[in-house]
Amino acid sequence: MTARDSTESYTTPPAKSVHRLAVLAVCMVWPLIWVGGLVTTYDAGMAVPDWPGTYGYNLFLYPLDTWLLGPFDLFIEHGHRLLGAFVGFVAILILFFAHRHEPRRWVRILSIALLGMVITQGLLGGMRVVLSDRTLAMVHGCVGPAFFSLCVATAVVTSQTWRRARGDLNDPQHGKWNIALAASVLILSYTQGMLGARVRHILPDALPGEFTTTVAQHISVAVLLWFLSVAAFRRFRGCGDLTLARPVLVLLISITVQIALGVGTWVANYGWPGILGSSIIQAIPGASQYLIQAKGFWDSIVVTAHVAVGSLILAVSTMLILRLLRTRYLAFAAESADSDFERQSESSVSVGQAFS
Amino acid sequence: MYLLIHRPKKSSKSVCRRSNIALIFVSVVTLVGCDSRIEKFDPNEVFSLTLAKSESVDMGQAQEDVTKVIETLFGTPESPTWPQDLISEETLVQTERLRRAAGGVSSEQDGTHLGLFQEHCVVCHGVSGNGRGPASQFQNPYPRDFRPGIFKWKLTDRAEKPSREDLRRVLENGIAGTGMPSFSLLAQDDVEALIDYVIYLSVRGELERRLLRISVSSLGYGEEALSDGERLQFPGDEQSKQVIVSNLERIVGQWVAAKDPDEEQRLISFNILEDDAGISRGRELFHGKIANCVGCHGVDGSGGVATLDYDDWTKEYTTRLGISPNDKDALQTFREVGAHRPRPIYPRKLKNGVLRGGDDPVRLFQLIRQGIAGTPMPGVTLVNEENGKGLTEAQIWDLVSYLHSLQDK
Repeated sequence: MTARDSTESYTTPPAKSVHRLAVLAVCMVWPLIWVGGLVTTYDAGMAVPDWPGTYGYNLFLYPLDTWLLGPFDLFIEHGHRLLGAFVGFVAILILFFAHRHEPRRWVRILSIALLGMVITQGLLGGMRVVLSDRTLAMVHGCVGPAFFSLCVATAVVTSQTWRRARGDLNDPQHGKWNIALAASVLILSYTQGMLGARVRHILPDALPGEFTTTVAQHISVAVLLWFLSVAAFRRFRGCGDLTLARPVLVLLISITVQIALGVGTWVANYGWPGILGSSIIQAIPGASQYLIQAKGFWDSIVVTAHVAVGSLILAVSTMLILRLLRTRYLAFAAESADSDFERQSESSVSVGQAFS
Repeated sequence: MYLLIHRPKKSSKSVCRRSNIALIFVSVVTLVGCDSRIEKFDPNEVFSLTLAKSESVDMGQAQEDVTKVIETLFGTPESPTWPQDLISEETLVQTERLRRAAGGVSSEQDGTHLGLFQEHCVVCHGVSGNGRGPASQFQNPYPRDFRPGIFKWKLTDRAEKPSREDLRRVLENGIAGTGMPSFSLLAQDDVEALIDYVIYLSVRGELERRLLRISVSSLGYGEEALSDGERLQFPGDEQSKQVIVSNLERIVGQWVAAKDPDEEQRLISFNILEDDAGISRGRELFHGKIANCVGCHGVDGSGGVATLDYDDWTKEYTTRLGISPNDKDALQTFREVGAHRPRPIYPRKLKNGVLRGGDDPVRLFQLIRQGIAGTPMPGVTLVNEENGKGLTEAQIWDLVSYLHSLQDK
């Protein structure tokens, strides 16, 4: 037997407004991560030395011409702040509509968490500027993808797909190992994001060994993630449930692209790694003569894309695990309802016999 | 006691949750502020240890005093100072440029960048320019250590400092095939500020090395602890001041004396490059006994010759102390204070290879003539007439013609 969510009532109309706002948040946060990544790539985190204002102006009143026609660093840093503020407004709206229309208590709590996280993220960004602290910039860079992931989670749990989902205990997709696989991908994606943030925000006086270790960990986790994504793809590609098959395909493609972007990022920052050996470097066209261009536009796009695709991988992993947990939950709920039904039937028969 | 015994027990979940929160809090508090300011430059402990080993002395007191003197004269990474009062030269380094290049990264409303060295250089070259930045281990060759005052890519003579133009060329052109980027997209002011800061770090580092050496060789450090009156100090007694100022003047004087060769003079033989006869003569010289380029760079510059040598930076604490670069145990003490693991240096493949010093004929001429400072690449003896012992200027140009022709094959 299959079952829909038997424990959650939809007596009030479904909160479509919350879902639409959550999707809007997802669509705004990804560009926000791009711009934030660009800020780090261009070392523009301190392009506006005050916070929460911009050079003495209220954030929203800073002159447009000075912003748009001014230095690029100022353009992206102020733009990042503005976009962040708008995401904050969307989070407020999500909270408002969730508390008005959303019947599920835990989704309402999720909307509070969403607003709390965007405020925390804003404060972290602000403190990074006020204290001129590179470590806080790294923490800010780690919280960003987590917030993106939370926005995706809100969009997923408020979607029609979520409501229409069915669970069947005979379906192998939501078995323990599949859940463990998806959870590993999620955890490793986030770990990978943190390692990447550490590489990007390495302190000037860090020891070479520290940096080398972090890079080695970053590469190892990338390889592990790729194998896990292949395993996930093989398990879910023909499962018949597109809500699972599509995310694993996107995951595999994204992680493959991400590894290529990672190589590009390294080359853009440090040149072709000598560890490849001179014969391999000679064999790659143009590699042995490659000249790094500091602050090159395309280089910065590759580096920033690496950050953004990392967040995308985390978001897709979040979507995958949530959908798996959902079908698993529904399958167990259906099983439990079946058992209750059988017990009740048996007891009705006994009562009937007693009255016959 | 009653309270201790009868205090209600918290559930294990609650305790676990609280300890997690505490852990996160402690982590954040520990992390924040770690990098707010870099208070000091690292002392040159590798060179101290080198002297301690070579002279069999204790360098503790010398290191302490020299570090104090250097800090007094040159300030800190956040607030660098240039000892202008002690030197007659006024244009080598400008304090205003130093301030722009130093400290943490930020920018102003008009787009002026501050903290340029940290923004562009520190991840490889390190805060003190010691070539031990966080990413240095990934670079081959290692990033330049500015402190010995030896630079590879220059048009000045081998033993001379690079000219300001040499540094500008390296910054603007970068070094293809290595981790050294081209900074050609930076504003000219930014490049000038970086040049000043590199010179500042180099002068600072070289004075530190000189004072460490002198403290052992002439000032009596190392055998037994010196009394306050005998120690090197600034401002201190007349002898201290004289030692410090004379060495500083000497280093600064070398930087000031380094000038780019006259442009016309450099281009005098430029037209011979397309001359087939010149290329043929150059090939003969390349494979001949005097220049003997083939010995390292292989037949027709195709590389592949088995050589085993190391660059000069690591030789200082290995072969020059009688330590094998492969002796991990002997090197351990140096590695602990920050020395890079010695790496073999390989002759460049010239046939369709990357000429890191640039393929500009004038630069090639100078590289052949002077060799490359800090590496095993030797210079040649310049002679007026062919005598079998050196190369004439015309012969060097023939070699340049030949090297240039290798790039097209």
